[in-house]
Amino acid sequence: MSDIAIQAHQLIKKFPARGDSGNDKKPAGESAPAKKRSFWPFGKRAPKSMFTAVNGVDLEIQRGEIFGLLGPNGAGKSTTIRMLCTLLEPTSGTARVNGYDVVTQSNQVRRNLGTVLAGERSIYWKLSGRENLQYFAALYHIPPTVAKKRVEELIERIEIKDRANELVEKYSTGMRQRIAIAKALLARPPILLLDEPTLGLDPQAARNLRELIAQLKQEGHTILLTTHYMEEADQLSDRIGIIDTGKVIALDTPEGLKRRIDQKEVIRLELTGWHADLGDKLKGIAGIESLTSHQKGEADLWEVNMQAQNSRHALPRIVESISGNGTRLVNMNIVKPSLEDVFIHLTGKALRD
Amino acid sequence: MRSATFVPASLGHTTPLNGLRALWAVVRREWMIFIRYPSWVVSLFIWPIIFPMGYILTARALSGVDGSGLAQFKLNTGLTEYVGYMAVGTMIWMWQNVVLWNVGGALRNEQMRGTLESNWLSPTWRFAYLLGASVPQLVSMLSMLAVSGFEYAFIFGVKFNGSLWLTMLVVLAAIPSVYGLGFAFASLVITMKESNAFVFLVRGIVMVFCGVTYPLAIQPQWMQNVAEWLPQTYIIHAVRSAALSTEGFQGIAYDLQMLLIFGVFWLTLGMLVFAWMERRARQTGAIGQY
Repeated sequence: MSDIAIQAHQLIKKFPARGDSGNDKKPAGESAPAKKRSFWPFGKRAPKSMFTAVNGVDLEIQRGEIFGLLGPNGAGKSTTIRMLCTLLEPTSGTARVNGYDVVTQSNQVRRNLGTVLAGERSIYWKLSGRENLQYFAALYHIPPTVAKKRVEELIERIEIKDRANELVEKYSTGMRQRIAIAKALLARPPILLLDEPTLGLDPQAARNLRELIAQLKQEGHTILLTTHYMEEADQLSDRIGIIDTGKVIALDTPEGLKRRIDQKEVIRLELTGWHADLGDKLKGIAGIESLTSHQKGEADLWEVNMQAQNSRHALPRIVESISGNGTRLVNMNIVKPSLEDVFIHLTGKALRD
Repeated sequence: MRSATFVPASLGHTTPLNGLRALWAVVRREWMIFIRYPSWVVSLFIWPIIFPMGYILTARALSGVDGSGLAQFKLNTGLTEYVGYMAVGTMIWMWQNVVLWNVGGALRNEQMRGTLESNWLSPTWRFAYLLGASVPQLVSMLSMLAVSGFEYAFIFGVKFNGSLWLTMLVVLAAIPSVYGLGFAFASLVITMKESNAFVFLVRGIVMVFCGVTYPLAIQPQWMQNVAEWLPQTYIIHAVRSAALSTEGFQGIAYDLQMLLIFGVFWLTLGMLVFAWMERRARQTGAIGQY
């Protein structure tokens, strides 16, 4: 058996650009006219332009590893995942899951995959937790006697035994998410695709789920994880691929990625009276390489992060730029780069952008 | 990096028997969800009375207080049982209407709920999701037809002079046409994301052309020509013949023959459109879009 659980080679997916009636509008990705002729007899349609959601992704995920796939919204993570789990057909390129081709052997791929894609929406709220698991066990062709045992095992494991017969609509988000994960584990598939598994969970539920994911790795599952939480990716992943505008722009261990900007420093400011012009002014300071800002919980308090080669050179000009115009500096720190900073360095965006 | 010493292997085995179990699981799931909405079950008993009532009362008004207008009705239809006549037409119309909403919307409802994608990710034969969702719907509709028969016999005193067995035979022969249209419709709705306009169009056509509340003979010739191409015309005519008249098998033989031809056509079309939708959804990602 190969050591590679998931392999993608030059995976490309193009969609017709939405709301585009011609080639005049250039989408963010590569644009190429599709030679599709309309059968509509009344007037000729202009050829559609294409939006490239995934643009030549190469991946090799080793058996037994947790691989984190990170990218800002619209970067192509979900499209990549959907191609790997056979929901979408690649425009070109190849992908194999557990040795099976995602296009020509899609049924075998599905048998070897457990997926959590839409989280709590992927299960039936008008069925109980137990009924949901029994139902999906049948869909995964698990023989009834095995299925019965497996469902009970998973009910114990996700700790919903006391409420397994209640309708899912009465569960908390965390419980529903656990059912969705148990559903993915039913057939004991060697490979798991978890798309934002902790999204919407409270901190305790998210921590429990992260522990479960770590246990699943110990049990030998290969896990492809996408998440918006950088700490989660850092904590769980053996390797991380950063995807942006449909391409994998970096792929390494979390430590390896952080080493890439080891020489850099992050200047973190907290201030009030933030405005866009100030951002442009700060970006113009020599030595400042990237800047992100977001509003913190309190009203009018903003956090601004800037990456710099040498903070001591940049600081006087930063302080000078901030003063006046109603802006007030509340706090300032020079911090070691985190994975989030690596991400910003590579993509120019924060993960939640 | 690789701490694992054990590689899990799938517990699932794709065999015809396991495929049938999956289909049965879809049927059970749909049935359990159906009975968890009590108002749906109650409507099975109420609708058969309420819906045809408007047409029956209109017919009563037009036939005169003493029923003198019924002679003309008998001349056109060969029947005097106008309540049964209206009830049969409207019930068949309602059957097709409910199939368009329920079977036609089955995949779309799953798509909007978010569960279609998780079903699609299993190794089960995908047509099973549509077929399985149709079975409880068929059972509930057959129950509704039976309930309406009882209600009209015992509450309104309708005399079903025909044969119960022949009526059941017609209903059986009608199933492929009625549900084939539902299958094709369900697949189109996944792509178009909107069903209302098309349901209104189809049920309007059935209402106007197929003789739901009036005999085809009163329509202009061009409308009668259109009606010949609609299976609902034959279903309505055959159920009326089988349930209300004493003509026997001869009265429904031609209708049955046409229903079998339409059945093969619509079932094949339904499955072809489903296969087309499945292929297109893989290219466009339509399954996960809502």
